[in-house]
Amino acid sequence: MSATLADDELLITRTFDAPASLMFMLWSDINHFKKWMGPEGFDCPEAEIDFRVGGKYRGMIRSKDHGDSWFGGAYREIEPPNRLVFTWMWDTGPSGEVETLITITFREHADGKTTMTFHQSPFISVERRDSHIGGWNSLFNKLAAYAARHVQENRA
Amino acid sequence: MQTSDPLSATLAALADPTRRAILERLTRGEATVNEIAEPFDISLPAISRHLKVLESAGLISRGRDAQWRPCRLETQALKSVDAWLEYYRRFWTGSFDKMDAYIVELKKKDEKK
Repeated sequence: MSATLADDELLITRTFDAPASLMFMLWSDINHFKKWMGPEGFDCPEAEIDFRVGGKYRGMIRSKDHGDSWFGGAYREIEPPNRLVFTWMWDTGPSGEVETLITITFREHADGKTTMTFHQSPFISVERRDSHIGGWNSLFNKLAAYAARHVQENRA
Repeated sequence: MQTSDPLSATLAALADPTRRAILERLTRGEATVNEIAEPFDISLPAISRHLKVLESAGLISRGRDAQWRPCRLETQALKSVDAWLEYYRRFWTGSFDKMDAYIVELKKKDEKK
């Protein structure tokens, strides 16, 4: 088991023989994306990418042994060619419905190779957190409206 | 937050950076609520809420001694998280292997032009 809990988040660093612009396209261009997504033994026959901040993506990987697995998420930060942040969630499976946040950075070197750092951790989406805030806001609005109505009724 | 299985509850508990920091503190040994709260700029009730989430997820246990209820890390839940992370690690490493091979393929195509 990992030494500290900070290490328990998934971090993969890897250098590829390609410029950062191509590395970025492998994630953003649907034709490239389907060619590599999924480990050996898996294909990616389905994918849709709406590549913009707030845009969603969805895909499916398929293998003989494991069948079809659907995944999807939304893009949160897009800064080509160096930074990409998006959510990732499996539709089903042991941790289906647990959202994760993926942060990818690309650093191109003088020799034209690029180091990609890939970080993934469990994530509470801002939307889910803010929906809590939305609930309080609407309650206070109702209280304020109620109080205002009472003042008017008392004046009448 | 509704969660349908223990792993999801554990991951949801870990999805908060304050809770992760609390767990990290407990890897150094058990501690009371006050000891845990000390380095944070958060109210004691807020820390208690975090501790409740961690306890529900089975990540910590709290002593029954009314005087000072020490919190202790429970490693069983973390083992399932470890397995989950290992799954993702294999998934992405395998995908990046394919990515590497695909890049070689693209370069070969480029050279032929």
